[in-house]
Amino acid sequence: MLSQVFHDIEKKIIHSLQPDQILTISEIIKKTGLQSDQVRRGIEWLKLKNLADVKESTDIHFHFGEKGDEAIENGLPERILVNEIEKGNTTFDKLKPILGLDFNAAIAYAKKNDWISITKNEKSTELSLNKDRQESLEEKFIITSKSQQENETNEIKVSADSLFAITSLKKRPYFIIESSFTIKKISLTNEGKKINLDDLSQPSGAIDVEAKAPEVFAARTHPLKDTIDEIREIFVTLGFSEINGNMTQSSFWNFDALFTPQDHPARELQDTFYLDGISAKKIATPEQIRKVSESHKKNWRYHWDINEARKMVLRTHTTCVTIKHLAETKPDESRIFSLGRVFRNEKVSYKHLVEFNQIEGVVVGKDANLRNLMGIQREFYKRIGITKIKFWPTFFPYTEPSLQTMVYNERLGKWVELFGMGIFRPEVTKPLGITKPVLAWGGGIERIAMLKYGLDDVREFYNNNLSWLRSARKCQ
Amino acid sequence: MPVVELSYKRLQKLVGKVTKKQISDSLPFLGLDIESENKDLIRIEYSPNRPDYSTDFGIALGLQGLLQIKTGAIKLNIKKSKKYVISVKSEVSKIRPFVTGIVAKNGKIDDNTIKQFLTLQEDLHFGIGRKRKKSSIGIHDLDKITFPLVYKAANRNHKFIPLNSKKELSISEILNNTDVGKDYGSILGNFSLVPLILDANQKTVSFPPIINAAVTTVTTKTKNLFVEVTGINKEDAEDMLSVVATILQSAGFTLESVQISGAKNSSPKLEQKKMSVSPSLINQILGLNLNTSKIISSLKKSRLDASTKGKNIICAIPAYRFDIFGSMDLVEEVALGYGIQNLEPTLSPSQTLGQKHSNSINLQSISSIMTGLGYMEALNSSLTSKRILYDNTNRDSSKIISVLDSKSLEHTILRDSLLPGLIENLAKNIHESYPQKLFEIGTIFNKTSSVTEETHLCAVSSHKNANFSEIKSILQSVIQLIFGKTCETKTTTHTTFEKGHVANITVNGKIIGIIGEISESTKDNFKLRESIVSFEVNLPD
Repeated sequence: MLSQVFHDIEKKIIHSLQPDQILTISEIIKKTGLQSDQVRRGIEWLKLKNLADVKESTDIHFHFGEKGDEAIENGLPERILVNEIEKGNTTFDKLKPILGLDFNAAIAYAKKNDWISITKNEKSTELSLNKDRQESLEEKFIITSKSQQENETNEIKVSADSLFAITSLKKRPYFIIESSFTIKKISLTNEGKKINLDDLSQPSGAIDVEAKAPEVFAARTHPLKDTIDEIREIFVTLGFSEINGNMTQSSFWNFDALFTPQDHPARELQDTFYLDGISAKKIATPEQIRKVSESHKKNWRYHWDINEARKMVLRTHTTCVTIKHLAETKPDESRIFSLGRVFRNEKVSYKHLVEFNQIEGVVVGKDANLRNLMGIQREFYKRIGITKIKFWPTFFPYTEPSLQTMVYNERLGKWVELFGMGIFRPEVTKPLGITKPVLAWGGGIERIAMLKYGLDDVREFYNNNLSWLRSARKCQ
Repeated sequence: MPVVELSYKRLQKLVGKVTKKQISDSLPFLGLDIESENKDLIRIEYSPNRPDYSTDFGIALGLQGLLQIKTGAIKLNIKKSKKYVISVKSEVSKIRPFVTGIVAKNGKIDDNTIKQFLTLQEDLHFGIGRKRKKSSIGIHDLDKITFPLVYKAANRNHKFIPLNSKKELSISEILNNTDVGKDYGSILGNFSLVPLILDANQKTVSFPPIINAAVTTVTTKTKNLFVEVTGINKEDAEDMLSVVATILQSAGFTLESVQISGAKNSSPKLEQKKMSVSPSLINQILGLNLNTSKIISSLKKSRLDASTKGKNIICAIPAYRFDIFGSMDLVEEVALGYGIQNLEPTLSPSQTLGQKHSNSINLQSISSIMTGLGYMEALNSSLTSKRILYDNTNRDSSKIISVLDSKSLEHTILRDSLLPGLIENLAKNIHESYPQKLFEIGTIFNKTSSVTEETHLCAVSSHKNANFSEIKSILQSVIQLIFGKTCETKTTTHTTFEKGHVANITVNGKIIGIIGEISESTKDNFKLRESIVSFEVNLPD
């Protein structure tokens, strides 16, 4: 508390209230010379810091009305009546025109004060003055007020003496006007009283460093893109080179070249996106087409149709890019990877997207064995922060043996499936002239990003919800 | 992946001396994923290439091997019989040319067994049967049938009482009015004749690949079975039969042969096939150094038989393991028998140097330029909807690229521009504070004689005072940093943008994109109020 730094406004207000003042806002304005909105703001700050107390009370003020002013000038109507009677105007007929609208009131109050008596005869009503007429409290008050008329505010001072008269005169229309308004009385709390404004540790011109500042948002790359870039970086440092390919592919490279028969359920419309009315003209070399189709006929025993292979699809995996590259380069020794979007005709849900990113790595050459494949997986997972992994056998149409990695999701408390891997079948590699064993593995990047960002709904990545993009943690 | 539901208790009985935990621990190492468990019931995902795993009988055989309760290949003991004969008429050759079959006797069938047979049948029909097109199966009560049978063609007026019906229906009625008829009738094409199996009394046994006759229905009272498989080639039909025969034998039936002849048909042999594999290939692929006896015991745990012949190992593979094509499949069988959990991962140092694709490096640089200019990166799908891509943006849809039969209404066409997606993003963020500045780098698709792909960069800025000159300043900076050149903006018209506030972007006189203020009508369509300015450019490869 002692180390607190105050704004100049706060300092002036505190100064005006120390040691034990209780002031209204207008009094503070007077004492400090600040603008009224500065004072109001300063009081709010001090209140938030629990240094000032604001008590609200209602104040009632009285002013003379039009009739009141007249009475001060000329006396109360009942006094005017008495004066007229003394002058000899004793009948109603004579007095009414003189007193006008005040006549009835004058009669009533004069009677109430026991100043006059009324006698009725046949011709007229006669008024006579009583003896021993005592001055009324109202009249006393009016006379006193006359002597104080120079009082600039025109406000009636309420005292024990005047209270009765004021209450009584208030009942008469336009004599006394009552107005009430709320006022704030500001004082310092006990903490506030302790503040030592002469403390030299507080530099002059200091600002309130604890106050909230306006929000700004850093422009940034997309969190999923960050994960993709991170994975690309890992592959490069593990000695892999990146290859690229199209998202639209002929069925030949997406399926046929990968030993998926043309009547296989995975090739049906319900799993794969086919482009409406679009076929590829040139899909591969005549030799590649011949050898692939022969392998299908021999192993799957069906009528292979080149038109089926020409149909354009949205790639269902990046493996089509990999196999095309291998068929072109036929390497003896190679480490390559491809990264990109793949497509599945699925119902979109918190678990599934129609379009997601896949990473795929390939090793060709003498190191290409299953234990090395598992070793690269383990190293990859370690680098993205996953250490609890195990391997289970599984099935893919184009690899043999095939494994899948299971990783332990600490947050969900269970094992989840991540990358699939295997060694390309000879039925895949031989027709394309690839002679060395090829290890391949891959999987969805969104799943890894979900683990990283703690998301349960994969759609979040493509909602581009600004509140998330502006706040999701960038550094892990 | 297909799923089968099993009972632990039944499985324990079938496997023999084994605990529930041993079963659940071993299943994953057969390639079977436990999808869910509820007390005694478990649901298991199996691979489509292993139809034998669609029943607990088949899974039990695998577990026996892995747990070393029984190892080695399962041998079919088929008693030669001359009682059961099918003769094939030549007219089926053009419709569904092949039939094969087997008889299984003296089995006990309870409700659970019937359930397992049904899932097996369903799996065979869907998987290797290719929805019954390639091959299909019928299981019948043997005692309701009088042999010899004939496999022939009949016309569509032929009548019989089909399964699940009480009255006689004609072939046409079955095809037009029943669910199975409607689902599979197309397999038979427009031939006036259809295939039928009739018994010696001219009673209909089966109308393949559609439906069996009601009279041969299998119930818990059935003791003896007749199984027939028909198909468009002999090998596939026999593959299917071999799975059923193996499962029936392990369910306690004794098998007897069926003799088939006529129109290029012959009796099934269901024999083991022999395949040789070299230990050096196995050790090379697995990264191990196993001796031949270890390899042989591993293969036996995978329920194959193996012996040495010279340097090689000869495997005997039962007929139902037609998923084994060649030596690499045997390598996997060794790995499974050896136990995947026993393979220690190793990391050999890389002999190669890694590098990013030059394209990736460029795109990462462009991302950093855009974030440096205060733009937030967005990511949208390539697949989008006509509403966003064309209708709301008033864009020309004459070169629309659609995908067939999408299951998601929001993903039916390929984007040919990034801008509509970013405007949609703004529309979803109207409750967030402004200014909102987004960019996306992504692939767009153009319809040519086929389809071509380009990489685009698109930026949008939306706030009360967004104007042309603001976005042009951004564009100039971006083009300078990407191309090392200045760009010009030449007045044009575009339906998404406000008239008189839109220009083509040119570099060296070549149009590379468009820039402008989004029109009021586009904004209305997206229910957006704040001003929006944007540019979209084609990036170099």
